[in-house]
Amino acid sequence: MSTTHGPAATGSPILEVAHLSVRFGALRAVDDVSLRVARGGITSLIGPNGAGKSTLFNLISGALRPTAGSVAFDGRDVSGWTPHALLRAGLARSFQITNLFFELPVRENLRLAAQVLDGGWKTVRPFAASRVAQARVDELLDEFGLRARAGDPAGALSHGEQRRLEIAVALACRPRLLLLDEPTQGMSHGDTQETAALIKRLAGDLTILLVEHDVGLVMDVSDHVIVLAQGRKLAEGRPADVRADPAVQAAYFGETAHA
Amino acid sequence: MNALLETLQFVYAPQVVNGLSLGVAVILMALGLTIIFGLLDVINMAHGEFYALGAYLGMSLLGIGVGFWTALVLVPLIMLPIGYLTERALIQRVFHHKDRHILTLLLTFGMAIVLEDLFKLAFGPNPLRPDTPIAGATELFGMIFPTYRLFLMGVGVVIVAAVWWVVYRTRLGAMVRAAAYDRHMTASLGVPVLRVYAGTFAFGVALAGLAGVLLAPVYSVFPTMGKDFILMAFSVVIVGGLGSIKGAIIAGLLLTQVQALSSLYISPVWSDPLVFGIMVLVLMFRPQGLFGRLGHG
Amino acid sequence: MADYIAVQAAPGPRSRLRPGLAAVFVALALAGGLAGWLTGNVFYLRLATEALIFGGLAMAVDLLLGIAGLLSLGQALFFGFGAYLAGLLLRDAGLSFWPTLALVALAGAVLGAVAGLIAIRARGVYFALITFGLAQIAAKAVYNVQALGASDGLMGVPVVAVGLGPWSVPASDPLGFFLVVLAIVMIMYGLLSYLLNTPFGRNMQALRANAQRLSFLGFDPWRYKLAAFVAAAVLAAVAGALYPVLRGFASPELLYFQTSGNAVITVVLGGVGTLIGSLYGSVILFGLKSVIGTYTEHHLIVIGLLFMIAVIFFPAGLVGALRRRK
Repeated sequence: MSTTHGPAATGSPILEVAHLSVRFGALRAVDDVSLRVARGGITSLIGPNGAGKSTLFNLISGALRPTAGSVAFDGRDVSGWTPHALLRAGLARSFQITNLFFELPVRENLRLAAQVLDGGWKTVRPFAASRVAQARVDELLDEFGLRARAGDPAGALSHGEQRRLEIAVALACRPRLLLLDEPTQGMSHGDTQETAALIKRLAGDLTILLVEHDVGLVMDVSDHVIVLAQGRKLAEGRPADVRADPAVQAAYFGETAHA
Repeated sequence: MNALLETLQFVYAPQVVNGLSLGVAVILMALGLTIIFGLLDVINMAHGEFYALGAYLGMSLLGIGVGFWTALVLVPLIMLPIGYLTERALIQRVFHHKDRHILTLLLTFGMAIVLEDLFKLAFGPNPLRPDTPIAGATELFGMIFPTYRLFLMGVGVVIVAAVWWVVYRTRLGAMVRAAAYDRHMTASLGVPVLRVYAGTFAFGVALAGLAGVLLAPVYSVFPTMGKDFILMAFSVVIVGGLGSIKGAIIAGLLLTQVQALSSLYISPVWSDPLVFGIMVLVLMFRPQGLFGRLGHG
Repeated sequence: MADYIAVQAAPGPRSRLRPGLAAVFVALALAGGLAGWLTGNVFYLRLATEALIFGGLAMAVDLLLGIAGLLSLGQALFFGFGAYLAGLLLRDAGLSFWPTLALVALAGAVLGAVAGLIAIRARGVYFALITFGLAQIAAKAVYNVQALGASDGLMGVPVVAVGLGPWSVPASDPLGFFLVVLAIVMIMYGLLSYLLNTPFGRNMQALRANAQRLSFLGFDPWRYKLAAFVAAAVLAAVAGALYPVLRGFASPELLYFQTSGNAVITVVLGGVGTLIGSLYGSVILFGLKSVIGTYTEHHLIVIGLLFMIAVIFFPAGLVGALRRRK
């Protein structure tokens, strides 16, 4: 059983965000945020509603262009890169609102996500030739317990199963940095526990950046926690330290914490 | 100096006036189109046929002895229920589909085909032309213009002003604009949104029909008249911005002037491609047109 | 409004293409061709050949609409381009059949790339309007160019022979050329079917389902849009090239909106997204025009009404409705 609470990985950070800002008219959704994500651990991003967590994710994953600042992935400046270029570089994300191909079967969803592994001319050859992708699909079906549902359209899955598939799809391409946007959104308690265990299993070669509302989950899995409020970074540090920080408590005052 | 004035007077001015009288027709058509799109999010590919319908209705009325001026009033009134029914019976059927834009485009395209052939069937393929209701010519600033064309320009200004006033200064117009902006909210405020849609469509096609009657003495009435005009009207609506009345007016003036004046320098057969070329450029670089909002369509 | 027009896809894992229906079509076509030949009915064989040619154009529209989710209202641009180019190559450059087709395919790809770069900048309805505008410009231009025959069109295209190894089929041979055209159209269908069952083709279809996610899976939607556009351009151009070989001329009508519009009607009537439905649809449309034409000149009223009914009640087309599982 691998431990996720080890010391932060040594070496250069896998993700470095410097003075990142984005404005929508007069609204500064993300305001001069700088942070570093260490390699090989689980870093969580928390904050009250409207703090800008999803917006920051969108900025990092290429869904949104910043109005100022830069993003560096693995030492390379990737500011303004498109989502597909970032994926090819090893940065993948899942979505808060399930964003699958609902009409297509589970297996096909995973294949679409895994096909980057084959690459090159395999893309214009029949499916039988894409062995690496097919093997990956089988691997993911087992790992996420979706084998029984492989042939069903993604839209027919239960909410919990869809959220699992959402993570599996993001994982399919073997990214080096995985952005998980509220993976347990709407999940039952049991599913949430399973997801927490899954996240812990995955960390290691893979770095995970997590946005979550479930503070209990965050405290449980994270090596490092960053708190955002109103578009700015409020605090960061180890889970216990952040929890004890009075400024953080003040920001959450009035919010019902999920235990 | 004299030479310049003379050029202005005899070369440019007639073209400008030509452009303006074409502009009246085009702007009236474009207004209807843009209002229908602005509110209903519907691209009415049959708009040209409603223009033709107005012209043919006018001819029919004249045929039974109704005077031109009476016909001018009657035709839009007749077109209102026709438009209303079309919207309720046909367009509403595909309105709630998630592919509404393409389906209404295709549906109205089908309507256009049927209507054009119906005209051919009912009235024959040859052009008809009513007598010019205001005969003769007038001298203005030392230039001679057919009086009817001057009348057209005047009427055009009046109608456009009236439309503007209705849309922006009356309660009815406010209801329509509110429904366009947020139909659920408007419905919850007690506005009969479905009726507003149908009514707006009716209004739009009535405008087209009115244009048809007004321009019949100038351009004649024949089954494919709608198709000829619709392309220009679409270009105007696109360049002006889908849904923008101001855009339709300004782009209408602009494009008809471009067409009229360009015929002085290049063969007139190229003036249509020129206008379409402008439309394509606008679609490429500024799809919302001069005054439209992106996110609409 | 969505960037891509998500035409209702049939539920279920497989794509909407059905090799079965394609085989049935070939069988029916062969049977029909044979019947026409045995009864010596040259007119119907020629008409059937023309139906296949326009069916090819409709397939191009279906590729864009039903597969990639892009409505093209100006596919006649490529069809007419192919027709005129082929006419020029056959008449003035003295080329034979296959080199002409090959050159048309190549030129069609280039034109498709150029037009695609222009059109793909726009989304949804605006894309449709750009394709419409481009075709209109081309139509007016061709109509006015004397060198291309202006309003009369490009006439005097010689009757060429189609070389098939040791045999040679003159284009004037009704049955022979019918079979040649059938083969060409089915080969293009086959190539497209193959492509759609590869990861590349699946990505193209995924554009329609969820373009945003596709981008996050590492694929640039723009590239797939352009690929679909170029493929559709080549398909339409090659189909267009067959027209002057059959009829001996190319005219500006081939570029008019009427031609593009008919193609869209054909696709809707035949079944959006099925590809083979376009061929069925074309045959049905030509048949209808023929039959109704014996009673009245005004076949468009009937066809227009049928089309409207199809749009309202069967948005996925008649064939699509037959195959919908739910």
